[in-house]
Amino acid sequence: MIRPLLLCLVVLCAVLRAQPATALDRDAVVASACGPATAAAEAGRMIIDGVAQASADDLVWARQLIASALDRSLACPGGAAPLLSLRNRAAFETIAAELTLLAAPDPTARAGALKSLGRRPELVPAGVLDRAAAQEQDTALKAALAEFAALADLGSPDLARRGRAVARVADTPSTRAATQLAALTNDPAYRADAGFRATVDDAITRVGRGLMIGRVLATLYNGASFASILFMSAVGLAVIFGLMGVINLAQGEFIMIGAYGTWLVQQGLHAAAPGLAVWYLPIAVIPVFLATAGIGVLLEVGLVRHLYRRPLMSLLATWAVSLFLVNLVRVVFGTQNLQFDTPFYVQGGIAVIGDFIITWNRLFAIGFAALSLAGTWALLRHTPFGLSVRATTQNREMAACIGIATRQVDMLAFGLGSGLAGLAGLALSPLYNVNPQMGTNFVVDSFMVVVLGGVAALEGTVLAALGIGQLNVLVEPFYGAVAAKVIVLLLTIMFLQWRPEGLFALQGRRR
Amino acid sequence: MTRLFAAVVAVLAAVAALIAVAPELLSPYLVNSAGQLAAFALLAVSLDLIWGYAGILSLGHGLYFAIGGYVVAMHLLKHGLAVTGRVPDFMQFMGWSEFPFYWAGFESFPYAAGLTVVLTLAMSGLFGFVSFRSRVGGVYFSIITQALVYVAMLLMFRNDTGFGGNNGMTGFSVIFGRDMADPFVSRMLAIGSIVILIAALLLCRRLVTSRVGRLVVACRDDEARLRSLGYGTLRLKLGIWCLSAVLAAVAGFLYVPQVGIINPRLLSPDVSLEIAVWVAIGGRGALSGAVIGAILVNGVKFWLSARAPELWPFILSGLVVLVVMAFPNGLLDLGRLRPRALKFLRPARGT
Repeated sequence: MIRPLLLCLVVLCAVLRAQPATALDRDAVVASACGPATAAAEAGRMIIDGVAQASADDLVWARQLIASALDRSLACPGGAAPLLSLRNRAAFETIAAELTLLAAPDPTARAGALKSLGRRPELVPAGVLDRAAAQEQDTALKAALAEFAALADLGSPDLARRGRAVARVADTPSTRAATQLAALTNDPAYRADAGFRATVDDAITRVGRGLMIGRVLATLYNGASFASILFMSAVGLAVIFGLMGVINLAQGEFIMIGAYGTWLVQQGLHAAAPGLAVWYLPIAVIPVFLATAGIGVLLEVGLVRHLYRRPLMSLLATWAVSLFLVNLVRVVFGTQNLQFDTPFYVQGGIAVIGDFIITWNRLFAIGFAALSLAGTWALLRHTPFGLSVRATTQNREMAACIGIATRQVDMLAFGLGSGLAGLAGLALSPLYNVNPQMGTNFVVDSFMVVVLGGVAALEGTVLAALGIGQLNVLVEPFYGAVAAKVIVLLLTIMFLQWRPEGLFALQGRRR
Repeated sequence: MTRLFAAVVAVLAAVAALIAVAPELLSPYLVNSAGQLAAFALLAVSLDLIWGYAGILSLGHGLYFAIGGYVVAMHLLKHGLAVTGRVPDFMQFMGWSEFPFYWAGFESFPYAAGLTVVLTLAMSGLFGFVSFRSRVGGVYFSIITQALVYVAMLLMFRNDTGFGGNNGMTGFSVIFGRDMADPFVSRMLAIGSIVILIAALLLCRRLVTSRVGRLVVACRDDEARLRSLGYGTLRLKLGIWCLSAVLAAVAGFLYVPQVGIINPRLLSPDVSLEIAVWVAIGGRGALSGAVIGAILVNGVKFWLSARAPELWPFILSGLVVLVVMAFPNGLLDLGRLRPRALKFLRPARGT
């Protein structure tokens, strides 16, 4: 039993030992590396030419040699190694990176080497890349290597290979692909060879189209995430305004309190249960909602309730509350932006097309708003409470007559609206800066959403939030954020000429 | 009401006379403060006209105040350049060697004064027309005015608009050919502000006691009925809205030379809301109430800003809640609380 195994081992060793025989002549390499500049360059060439056949052992050895040549610790037969010429130093650095890619045990070192080689991909010999691709185990690095190889092929002297590479580059459109292809139009081959020119032109069109689609999608995506925040802050305003004709000027501060509450939950988890701290966003949902809804109910009972017949005064009162809250938070927490952890589930994203990346943090906000929309819709449409809210919105006296406790409905609706604004603060905390003044950034847009959407149906708020969110993001890259706000406001005022009570107005006599 | 109004006008006139006759009794700081307070009072009167009498709450009157302020600042800078050769700061940090085209003509005071009125009328007329025509009112109107002033602030914060950007405009050195540091100039500005305030008060008083004034109040109390009686409420509201805007712009025109600086923070929604707070505290629907409210609130603010500025927002929000909950007509309600002692404070009309 043991005999055949030993035999196998011996044969295996023989095979492994047999390989290096064709590869590096270590003595010759050392002799060249210790020689004058031209000889040193020759040493580099010898290593690179031998890479395809060299054993793993040889690669490690060569890597050490190049590294010591670079930092002048190479011990030569005649004493210290000679100073590398500037040209050789550059060549040796490239070789060092190539050997790191091939022989370093640490994947991050290999990734770093690949990145440094990326500056001049056409200088990397095909043999190095083939071998690296064949032996690489790390999936991310494998993908990077494939992309790199395509890039290197772009500079290859073989036109057929080059054409294939161009087509491959065009398969994944990105800004980098576009600049690479644009650079090719200055290439002598582009002028000389009609077939190659056609390939490149076709690739440029395809990349351009991909980039365009990516840009449109990215804009829509950013708009949708902004709209999500707007929706969550405006839906409370709209419900409250529909019910009681009161606009809560402190709505922006509820967003701010929601974000600060999220931060407090994060800090609390760090102190009490560090293992759970990474999940602070989902954990904070319920406490933040309850806290902001509670403050909202307090505000309704203490202040707004007494001002139903004087809606203009309720503007002043809620503004006073917002002033108070902003300054209270400023005194307690200071004016600087809060530092939030970014847990793994709101980090990064998946690249889709062109430069469009579905980032998790925005998706988090969008998904969160969608859930809140579904919850609010279900609450308003399919529960006794929702029925009461709708009845009171349509006709308060009549609703009171048939036994609906309208005051209680007001209170709970105010709490719901404030709680949703608080959740908006939670959803935006991975996206925007959180500081005492943050409320003002959202509150004016939220008002416009209410004015535009009307108060009779949730659909109006959704449509108006999407419209204003998209418009803001669409205009911003061309004319800046300020112009976006100006245009939104002007369009809103113009829209009110056509529908003074918003998209979805209550049916009835115009006041 | 009438007695209170007369008392307010008399006190204002007395202060103006004191500054004119015996300036040595008052410190330059006091004189300057009196002038600024007069400008604020005029601003409050303008808002009271539209809110107290017409029932339309503007949360964006800072916009018109700032129009007056920016125009006068541009005049002062151009005038200063003509007299002393001093190039405005914002031109230096923007690296501009000449003024944008819309700065032409600002050397002339009549042009600046006229432009203030024209610009304000154009702005308020257009906005008022589209809003009142589509019968946007109440809370909707208020928040749209707030959005308007907010957007204007964002616009003025940009440095490339040619209005000084976020630093605004300052360094006014000369007015009517005289050095602005001269105490005489500061006295004249204060007296001018108070005199214009008195004139505006008398004008508004005439207006609100006239037939038009009664129509405006009727429009506030029941617009639908007034409309069905055949009155054109659009014209009525538009007229009083534009008058109010112009008064606010005049207040800005008077305020900026005395405070010596204008920047976009004047357009912040909070500033505009504060104007409504002065009026609410002093008493809506009474011209004298607006004056008292503006002077009282700003007096406390001036006094406190030297001692404990961080306390001010808390005091202000507390005051607002107190007034809104307990004294819907502001200090004028005190007349109801102590009828005997403060009988003269009792308002004529309950609003």
